[in-house]
Amino acid sequence: MQEPTFLILTALAAGAQHGYGIMTDVARISDGRVRLRAGTLYAALDRLKADGLVTSDKEEIVDGRLRRYYRITDEGAAELAAEVRRLRANTAVAASRLGLAGGTV
Amino acid sequence: MTERGWAAGAGTAHRMENWYRRLLTLYPKDHRREHAEEMVGVLLAAAGQEQAGPSRAGRAQRLGQHAADSADLIGGALRIRGRMVLNRVKRTRWLAWTVRDERWSDALAVVSVVAPVLLLVAALTEFRISQAVASSLTGHPHWRLSETLTLADLPMAAGASGVTVLAFLRLRRLAGLGALATAIGQIAAGAVPAMAGYASPAVAFTVLLSCTAAAALLFSPGPDRGLALLTRSGTALVGVGALILGGFSVGGNVWFGTGDADVGDFGGQVAGLPADLLIAAVLVTVAASCLRAAVSRRVLALLAIPVIPYVFLWQEKLASDLFGPPGTTTALIPSSIPLLYLPPLLLACLIVAGTWLARRRATGRADQVGSSGPRSAVSA
Repeated sequence: MQEPTFLILTALAAGAQHGYGIMTDVARISDGRVRLRAGTLYAALDRLKADGLVTSDKEEIVDGRLRRYYRITDEGAAELAAEVRRLRANTAVAASRLGLAGGTV
Repeated sequence: MTERGWAAGAGTAHRMENWYRRLLTLYPKDHRREHAEEMVGVLLAAAGQEQAGPSRAGRAQRLGQHAADSADLIGGALRIRGRMVLNRVKRTRWLAWTVRDERWSDALAVVSVVAPVLLLVAALTEFRISQAVASSLTGHPHWRLSETLTLADLPMAAGASGVTVLAFLRLRRLAGLGALATAIGQIAAGAVPAMAGYASPAVAFTVLLSCTAAAALLFSPGPDRGLALLTRSGTALVGVGALILGGFSVGGNVWFGTGDADVGDFGGQVAGLPADLLIAAVLVTVAASCLRAAVSRRVLALLAIPVIPYVFLWQEKLASDLFGPPGTTTALIPSSIPLLYLPPLLLACLIVAGTWLARRRATGRADQVGSSGPRSAVSA
């Protein structure tokens, strides 16, 4: 799973969010390291929706502009959980080989 | 902010919105319909959050962000379009395309039955294979198989029989490729000056009939659907027409032919013209009597593609039967490659263009109906 996809699913794991909300949340989660732009975000959302990992939720109009909310599906949550387990296992191996087991990574 | 400053800011936002909307036209129509409004909202919200000041460095930073957002939008459009193409390629079953318009698809299905039969009959009559077989069976000395076939005839002789057998074994795609190979083989054979040139109306007829059969077999549901549409009476008509066509030419040439070069091929002259008329009669009868009007019109249009050069063949034979022996320049209109191939090509282009325009109009109407519903997006 690519990092932007992982971060988008992570952002949505806490609850449904609209496009701009996902962008700011991803920046917050990654400590400002990953800054999604609209083109990348909507291309990713399009793919995640096609794969059934994300779905559209409610819509609202704020200041005359449409806001559509997206939420993670059960399949998306399972995929994210599997990715977390994979990353955690890899991280544990890397930490133990670096002699950091039990310490912070 | 002063009133002037606010107006300048609003003008910039308006220009940015227009620019983003222009870039969003790069996205597929469905994606645009679904996401364009919210994407504009997100882009403007992100631009509004930029913390750059009014200094020159701030303006440069804003310009940089704006350029990066624009490039990202273009990249997003390319990714989505690329994924669509990839998905379409993955879903495509090769050589399984069929025409979407039901009436054209049905017409092609009917032609996928009729064209291989006609191809076989054309090969039998043109190369006098049936006469040769009948001669050998009856002991009549007039025709021998070795005398009726040359190397240039082989693509047509082998292709026609192969295509018909494959089509009726329901091997549609293989039959279609066979018909295409038959057309290419005939063109290649005709291109060699020592062999029969493809400026001949008979060769043009069989080349174009092979092409029509190939298109019908490759782009329609195939002979199964064609036979279902033709119904039993239509199928019987095609069969009887083919039998009469083959049988008459056998009878004419075997029983009337003298085999004496000095006396002339009386059988060939007698059999030629009625056989040609019968081919035309079979085409018209099949198309007109067995099908819905919308399909029968299209069948006629498709079969007109190979029949156009046949008209030249017919008038040449008519002229030779009425005014002189075959081979003399008695034809009313001398045939030439442009006359034989350009009108059928033009007709084929008209059919394709007409179908495409009809589909576009239908899509446009569907879009209009879709957009006249309640709008889910409100722009500022």
